Amino acid sequence: MKKLLALVLALSTVLGLLAGCGAKENTAGTTTEDTANTETTDAPETTDNTAETGTEETTDDNSGAVVVDLTILKEADDSMLNTYSMIAVNPEAPFTDADGNAVSDVTINTAGADALMHWLLLPETMELATNYGMEEYGNTLFYAVDGAPTYEGEIPAATDETKTIRLSTTTSVNDSGLLAYLLPQFEEAYGYTVEVQSAGTGKAIEAAKFGNADLILVHSKSQEEEFVNAGFARVIDGMETERLSFLYNYFVLCGPSADPAGVKDAATVLDAFAAIAEGKYPFISRGDGSGTHTKELSLWPAELGITEDPESFADYTDWYTSANAGMGACLVMAEEMGGYILTDKATFLTFVANNGVME
Amino acid sequence: MNLYAFTKSFGSQTAVTVPDLTLQAGTLYAVIGANGSGKSTFSRVIAGVLSPDSRRPVTEAGLRVGYLPQKSYGYRLSVLQNLLLVNQDRERAAQLLEAVQLSHLAGKPAHRLSGGETARMALARLFMGWYDLVILDEPTASMDMESTMLTEQLTRQYVSETGCALLLVTHSLQQARRLADHALYFHKGQLLEQGPAKTVLYEPQCHEAQQFLSFYGS
Amino acid sequence: MGSAVEQAVQLIASGDRELLNILSVTARMSLSSSLIALLLGVPLGLLLGACRFPGRGLLLVLNRTLMGVPPVVCGLIFYILFSGVGPLRHFHLLFTVEIMILAQVVLITPLLTSHMETYVAQIAGPVRETAKGLGLSRWKTFLLLLNESRYPIFSGYLLGFSRAIAEVGAVSMVGGAIAWKTNVMTTAIMQYTNRGNFSLGIALGLILLVLSLGMNLLLSLLQRKVAS
Repeated sequence: MKKLLALVLALSTVLGLLAGCGAKENTAGTTTEDTANTETTDAPETTDNTAETGTEETTDDNSGAVVVDLTILKEADDSMLNTYSMIAVNPEAPFTDADGNAVSDVTINTAGADALMHWLLLPETMELATNYGMEEYGNTLFYAVDGAPTYEGEIPAATDETKTIRLSTTTSVNDSGLLAYLLPQFEEAYGYTVEVQSAGTGKAIEAAKFGNADLILVHSKSQEEEFVNAGFARVIDGMETERLSFLYNYFVLCGPSADPAGVKDAATVLDAFAAIAEGKYPFISRGDGSGTHTKELSLWPAELGITEDPESFADYTDWYTSANAGMGACLVMAEEMGGYILTDKATFLTFVANNGVME
Repeated sequence: MNLYAFTKSFGSQTAVTVPDLTLQAGTLYAVIGANGSGKSTFSRVIAGVLSPDSRRPVTEAGLRVGYLPQKSYGYRLSVLQNLLLVNQDRERAAQLLEAVQLSHLAGKPAHRLSGGETARMALARLFMGWYDLVILDEPTASMDMESTMLTEQLTRQYVSETGCALLLVTHSLQQARRLADHALYFHKGQLLEQGPAKTVLYEPQCHEAQQFLSFYGS
Repeated sequence: MGSAVEQAVQLIASGDRELLNILSVTARMSLSSSLIALLLGVPLGLLLGACRFPGRGLLLVLNRTLMGVPPVVCGLIFYILFSGVGPLRHFHLLFTVEIMILAQVVLITPLLTSHMETYVAQIAGPVRETAKGLGLSRWKTFLLLLNESRYPIFSGYLLGFSRAIAEVGAVSMVGGAIAWKTNVMTTAIMQYTNRGNFSLGIALGLILLVLSLGMNLLLSLLQRKVAS
């Protein structure tokens, strides 16, 4: 009997904790967590009620925080161009193991990579990609790059050997839902299985250098060129270059709707960033070597000297936060801190749409 | 049967030194002495639980030795199953349980028994087997008077039935006097005196044993 | 919070195929890894707890060290070993459930070994002394010791299972959190959270908790049966 009581208590505490976590979406949440915790410990039978009340309370107290305040302040600026490229991994690349010794027999599914890349470059697929998002967000998320390579040939069906394709991509591509929308159609038509790993661009490229991907789909020109120059890339059939830029969209600069830094009225994005730095308004940086992070670094006034190196922004920590986290987590942080943030549009729209549900 | 001389030390401390001994079948030996006199260590070495310093065997090869540790342990099985661990003679198990008055607890998990019940169960369990030499280390330490009497009766009966030699380690002089044919007196790790119970337990030769008797015997 | 619960219920009720896949991968990974760890940890714990042999102290220290290895480090080592350029690349195990199980076994086994060893060390003395006194065979003594250890075996399995189901650092590294293949509940929660999709994360977390609770309840019921 005692055991049962203990169980009920444990269960209610857990639920109480969850109530606290739930509230975290809206506010800092620690206080709610504590309250919920104590309340439920005292009265295990009324767990559900307590959990409910806990949330309601916070909702009432911070009703403003529930609706996303973060808004797009600058977009479609040429310096915010976000170009996605795919690169096939070269099986003859100068692979090295963790100790720097050359490794020659790395297994790369070249035929599979070719098939997927060719398929993505089909005019029909491009059409699908550039229309993606209309339904869900009322906004297209990707545009076709002018003069992007196209493919009109045949695509071979999968064989046992070419069946599994390892695609290393960035979180922003994966999170936009584009791949989840496109890939099943490819898999169904030709019998392949695409295994998508997503990480920041830096890590995504690193995975390929470790021989763990057959192709990469990323959005950081400098890192891509480095990858190509180091000999890791391969020109696929019917194409002229290793790096195939085919889709683009814009990064957007978001911030609190009140826009204390006056970003909206800045002439260019560069001016906007300068204004944020000038007024020391809170800014959240991904800080994780992702494509978004790389782009952000290129937008600060040169004299600040902000780079990936933590030393370089040691003097700015009063307003510059290097989060080392995914886009979504950074957006939450920006929302809570009333800060500015550079994000890809797709993730931002998901974020907003999702918070609508949470309300 | 012969027991061979041995010394047992813990670290640099010699716990007990014993000369060669000869034990008679069908005889009950009381092993007495004050706390820390080495009687328990002696019994544990003979039982094979501890190995002597020389690591040479202390009993004849092939000798079947049964041993009841001071702290009885009830395995996580029923009382009856504990007894049947030794052999499958259900009839004997029933008799023994009857003898130690545990028949009504035959199905109870042995690890849930009280201290006194565990001790009685352990004795019955030991007596399921047949041995040339049996060693009981303070079998009645956690028992009330009634159980002690039961145990003593059963022990005597076992010796006469099976004709084994039995070493009874006890701190109770009265118990030794009630049961023993012979006695061994230990003092500070030495076997100071041995012989018929009538002598050792009543009129010992050595001074230490006389003192022990005058202290406990009145 | 209310909406998260609602969403969790909806997710389960709708039989969302991806969720079902995540659940089955999670179950496969946690059940097999904790079972394998149990099969390794119980004998090892018995050996270390009940037997005195040269090198035992060293093994105990080694085990304790392994217990302290952060899961991410374990994941990283496996990642490097089984990467396309790693020395064990020919096994083609990276980003499979098998290697996730392997990494989990490496993480959990020391835990179970230590759990078992601590308990067995306490009871081995009296169990063996008594068995020796009754003239029982070594095999019978071993079985008795195993029988005496029912409780730590059950609680150890529970410990291993909850560790396996809750672990994220190692499995995300070696599994790659690939949808439909190696994505488990924890990595999925991480993905959703990183995406800013908290309600789905919480919904999954809730399912994880209920699963864990159910497992615990089941085991404690079983345990009560075992104990009596």
